[in-house]
Amino acid sequence: MLDRFCRIKDSLPVILHLTRQDLIERHTGSALGATWTFIAPLVNILVFVLVFSRIMGARLEGFGVDIDQYAYSIYLISGVLAWTAFANGIARITNLFRDHRHLVTKVNLSLFAMPLSVILAEAIVYAISMAFFIGFLLIIGFPLSFYFLLVPAVFLLQCLFVYSLGLGLAILSIYLKDVKEVVAVVLQVWFWVTPIVYVTDILPSWVMHWMHFNPFFTLVESYRSLIMLHKVPDLLPIFLFTLATLFVLGLSVWLLKRTERDLRDCL
Amino acid sequence: MIEIRRLEKTFKLFDRPLDRFREAVTGHVHHSCYKALDDISFSVSPGEVLGVLGRNGAGKSTLLKLITGVLLPDSGEIEVDGRITGLLELGTGFNPELTGLQNIIANGLMLGMSHAEIEEQRNEIVEFSELGAYIDEPLRTYSSGMTMRLAFSIAIHADPRCFLVDEALSVGDGYFQQKCMKKIREFKQRGGSILFVSHDLNAVKMLCDRALVIEGGSIVFQGSPDDAVNVYNRIMARQAEEEEGRRADRDQGAYGSGEIQIIQGKATGRESLASSISSGEMLDIQLELEAKKSIEEVTLGLLIRDRFGQDIFGFNTFQLGETLSFAAGERRFIRISICADIAPGKYTLTAALHSREHHLDDCYWWCDGYLQFEVAGFKHNIFSGVCRLPIEMVTDTVNKS
Repeated sequence: MLDRFCRIKDSLPVILHLTRQDLIERHTGSALGATWTFIAPLVNILVFVLVFSRIMGARLEGFGVDIDQYAYSIYLISGVLAWTAFANGIARITNLFRDHRHLVTKVNLSLFAMPLSVILAEAIVYAISMAFFIGFLLIIGFPLSFYFLLVPAVFLLQCLFVYSLGLGLAILSIYLKDVKEVVAVVLQVWFWVTPIVYVTDILPSWVMHWMHFNPFFTLVESYRSLIMLHKVPDLLPIFLFTLATLFVLGLSVWLLKRTERDLRDCL
Repeated sequence: MIEIRRLEKTFKLFDRPLDRFREAVTGHVHHSCYKALDDISFSVSPGEVLGVLGRNGAGKSTLLKLITGVLLPDSGEIEVDGRITGLLELGTGFNPELTGLQNIIANGLMLGMSHAEIEEQRNEIVEFSELGAYIDEPLRTYSSGMTMRLAFSIAIHADPRCFLVDEALSVGDGYFQQKCMKKIREFKQRGGSILFVSHDLNAVKMLCDRALVIEGGSIVFQGSPDDAVNVYNRIMARQAEEEEGRRADRDQGAYGSGEIQIIQGKATGRESLASSISSGEMLDIQLELEAKKSIEEVTLGLLIRDRFGQDIFGFNTFQLGETLSFAAGERRFIRISICADIAPGKYTLTAALHSREHHLDDCYWWCDGYLQFEVAGFKHNIFSGVCRLPIEMVTDTVNKS
């Protein structure tokens, strides 16, 4: 166990380098360079604000928001940014070993550590997006509370879940190429099943009952509670979510330990 | 130091990819086996270079991958003290868009160096690679030789305790290869262990303290490089013979339009009277030709190749100014003698009959490896290399004035 942690630690410089490659070096050679890393999140937020504040704004009365014009934008952005990190993370970790085959088959990298590079890259993009988002909130005069400081904690929990699930899927996808496609489809459905672009109120009650089994619902509710409602989210769902995450983590780690030798042959 | 004990590695072959997963999880057997390495034990002490010889597919790469930890063994132990790097990872993590300098960092990290170490070694790496101003250009503008030079420079400067050299070394030009050899020797003197995998038998003899030969996943020989090279040659010769046997089944592999053919031939030493001759002995080649039609200006070509299929010496009668003409149905003996001033080894003799100066105009008959002979021992002074060249030597005392 200790040995494994040492190997993860040894792999960290490479992991950081992969993250850097992901965010910055990917754009090397282009005129704007690393600025591209900032442009996508900025455009995203501008689109949500400019388009949706006009079209959907009025439909969101009674969500405890003073500035109704922007209420939907805030509602949408708090969910979408987290979802983007969530979905990209899972999809990319799923393909990670295959994508980095040229490294895995040549350099002794810890397979446990490799998904961290994706997690880190997505976290940085999320942080950049959140910075723009906070800037927007300040501009429109939306009240920011200390509860905002708890957002990183929820995000950390989200990362743990993405790591756990992603690792398991990454192992499966080595054996079965179809996993990649299945994950893409499932994520697409997952996005629309979860109240990210629509509000919970429009769902029938039986759907709401099942919604508690949706991990991302727990997360998105928590974000909104912290950002928009200025209060601590329900702790029971978060507790259950944490338990589920640890279970998935245990399962994935067990799976990787069990299959690592074979997995490396396979790559 | 590298210590390998009873290493075993089996690759499992599956009909379907899903079977592989089912077995990995449940342990139920769904596979057939391919044993890549069987009971491998050896050690490389500090300051020692161990050569590894073996045919393609003998298990050399698998062995290196196991030692670097890229693959995991079924059983056995691998002990490596300190960092292990090698040309196996030649240029891993290189990004063609980045400059040479930026790629040093990328590759250095992959080899397990810290940022501080890379910073420290950077100038030396650049200097050793001799890339000069190119180091600030994107890697995509490099030639393959330049890329290889950079990769090798990083690998050798990563300050490993153990160094794995794969065949990659043969990429660079002669000058850089010598520089690499020198660096490898320096590394060895500092107490580094080197595992040297190569098909370059000369390099193995020159560089290695010991060598082992792997065949079919097992070590068949472990000892001095010279003996190892001989064992390896025997294995290769056996393979060549097998292939020759197969070729003999196919009518000796002769082709051409067949208007004129060599129907019989032998190559013997003038003194040995056998197909095994000494270096420097006259090799008498006797051929019997038969023409089906009347043909003017036939050229007979002969080509000596070594066991690697390298052309050693070739000539034809057109170049000698001899013209051969045949009447229909004529048979003729031709005897050609060559002074076989070539290095010991096995050779083949390719024979051809064609019109005028080369076989591209009209090829009547062509047979690769038509005859074989072996050179063993020297008739005159010993020499090294492929062949003997005429030498003149004069010494003179210099008068101080």
